[in-house]
Amino acid sequence: MKDALAPDPANPADSARKRETVGSTPPARRRPRSLRGHLARLLLPPLAAMLLVGATGAYFFAIAPATEAYDYGLVDAAHAIATRVHMDQGRAQIDLPAVAEQVVRADKYDMVYFAVRDPAGQLLAGDGGIPPPPPDAMQRDDVMLYDSVYWGDAVRVALFFLPCGEQRCAITVAETTVKRATLKRDILFGSVLPQGLLAFLTVALLVWGLTRGLEPLEVLSEEIRARSPNDLRPIDLSIEPEEVRPLLVALNQLFEEVAESTRSQQRFLANAAHQLRTPLAGLQAHTEIALSLPVTQACRAELEQIHQGTVRTARLANQLLALARAEGGAHRSAVFDTVELRRMAEDGANEWVHEALRRGIDLGFELEPASVRGDALLLREALANLVHNALEYTPSGGHVTVRCAKGARGEGALIEVEDNGPGIPSDERSRVLERFYRMPGTTGIGSGLGLAIVREIMQMHGGSIEIRDAIDAPKPAGCLIRLRFPAESGKG
Amino acid sequence: MRVLIVEDDPSLAAGQRRALQLEGFAVDVVPRGEAAIQCTEGERFDIVILDIGLPGIDGFEVIKRLRRGRHEMPILVVTARDSVGDRVRGLDLGADDYLVKPFANPELVARVRALVRRSQARTGPKIVHGPLIMDTVARRCFLNGQPLELAAREWAVLEVLLARVEKIVSKDTIIQAVTGWVEDISPNAIEVYISRLRAKLEPAGISIRTVRGFGYLLVDYPENAPAVAG
Repeated sequence: MKDALAPDPANPADSARKRETVGSTPPARRRPRSLRGHLARLLLPPLAAMLLVGATGAYFFAIAPATEAYDYGLVDAAHAIATRVHMDQGRAQIDLPAVAEQVVRADKYDMVYFAVRDPAGQLLAGDGGIPPPPPDAMQRDDVMLYDSVYWGDAVRVALFFLPCGEQRCAITVAETTVKRATLKRDILFGSVLPQGLLAFLTVALLVWGLTRGLEPLEVLSEEIRARSPNDLRPIDLSIEPEEVRPLLVALNQLFEEVAESTRSQQRFLANAAHQLRTPLAGLQAHTEIALSLPVTQACRAELEQIHQGTVRTARLANQLLALARAEGGAHRSAVFDTVELRRMAEDGANEWVHEALRRGIDLGFELEPASVRGDALLLREALANLVHNALEYTPSGGHVTVRCAKGARGEGALIEVEDNGPGIPSDERSRVLERFYRMPGTTGIGSGLGLAIVREIMQMHGGSIEIRDAIDAPKPAGCLIRLRFPAESGKG
Repeated sequence: MRVLIVEDDPSLAAGQRRALQLEGFAVDVVPRGEAAIQCTEGERFDIVILDIGLPGIDGFEVIKRLRRGRHEMPILVVTARDSVGDRVRGLDLGADDYLVKPFANPELVARVRALVRRSQARTGPKIVHGPLIMDTVARRCFLNGQPLELAAREWAVLEVLLARVEKIVSKDTIIQAVTGWVEDISPNAIEVYISRLRAKLEPAGISIRTVRGFGYLLVDYPENAPAVAG
């Protein structure tokens, strides 16, 4: 884990490329199986089954007594008709006045049919053709109840046997099922609808609760997603639900390990660069002495090559050092200081002026009081890189101007370095910011790291770098590089 | 003039010694801080060039002990580390200037010469810069042995430049030095004094360079040194 995340100290550009790739498509974008979906899959089926059983149960518990009540009504009607049957000389007779028959038949919803038959099966009164009971018809006391079809309608039938002498008369009362169907529908709605509503509410509550419960996690993942790859500050443990604490602790541990590994890489790089400086200083001193001695022209040319190589290597060491610092710097933003840009430029001036004088370049300053929050050493390195570049590429007799200023209202402070050298063509401007890229035909001692380092440092400060044509130079010559700091850090 | 180099890297020490010898300095080299303290007990040096990263006691400790021992010679710190903290710490402890490795020989020589001159100005009345001799007590100036007439303000400007040879002296600093005894003065007036000084000094090879928008710099006098002022 450590090794996979740590940059390769021998190849900072390689590690930078890796980080850039990581930065453009953070792995956090890939959405893993969501906890919400998982819980829903886990909870919804049993919940649905429970509701189904509940609804079914409620339906059948309610439907049985309700239909029984109607059945009793039917049986009562049969009994009422039975009271009108009497024996006359051994023969069953019925005396059913029209009024009584109307009472039996009267019903608001259903058609009511009846039939009274003597023991021989002869129809005494009522409607013929009511189907006889099926073999499995339900027998309750002395009444049989069954479902059947009459005149094309579903009917409920009660068959009552009345003792007529030695034998029995059959009294059948049938009723269409409109009332019963309505009742069934009512019961169905009355029980299933609330249950369904309850189910819907439960699911809604579940989703809402999960969303609410997971909100801190969303906030947390957003925070982690928004982090730069260099930001390895630990996550605040106090703000999150207790359940995720072990995860956070583990994450923080990982962050700390990665940070420590990065720090040790940076320490290594810094130490290596520092260690290089002393032998390089010796080499440079000796070459310069050799150059001051009377030597042959050929020998002098070789010595000059060695000298240039030394200076170049020394600068490369410095730049690697700055790079190591800038890369490790993102999580140090908390310890940024107030940096006075004017002061910084004036301090640097003493280091650059000698090179400018040696090259016969007029080095000028237009400095206004301005301050930013930042890493003093790195900002100084950024400015030094720009000035060295300008001095490098501006011919003798040229001008290089260093500016700093408070930004206009709503804008951050800025630093500018302008020269009237050959300039950078528009189509090269984005490429010169890449590491180790050198413009075709470039002759200076640069490593191609300078501007890349400046960009890195500005990114770390939340600022930007912009390359444009010089204002003072005849177009298209000259180059102006502007470093712009974020507005909020430009105040104060 | 005697220089003590405290440097543990033999190659760099030899290079520095040679570069300074070529400029006529008498140079001693010691590789450790303890030896440097011992050396300065018995002998007098005009300047110490001190590496910070030494085996044994480090450069900071050497500065502390030298200053505690009431040694007042200038100390030029040479460091491979360029952190602001190191610079500030060295200067706070009593170092006079610092150089970050690697550096060009002419720069080392110029810094050494400027520091020595400054300390001489502190201890003696005469400031010497090539053919220019400035007697700050008698308030007289000589160029190539001839008396040089300087107006009071020209004198003040030259004095402040001479105190910081090879370093940029800001216009503000010059104005402060000049207005010590006169009323407010405009930056334009400073330009006038500078151009008068140039007219007087440049024929003798003494060069004052303008750092546009900032100030002026008195170039180290190029006695034997490879030309610094291109």
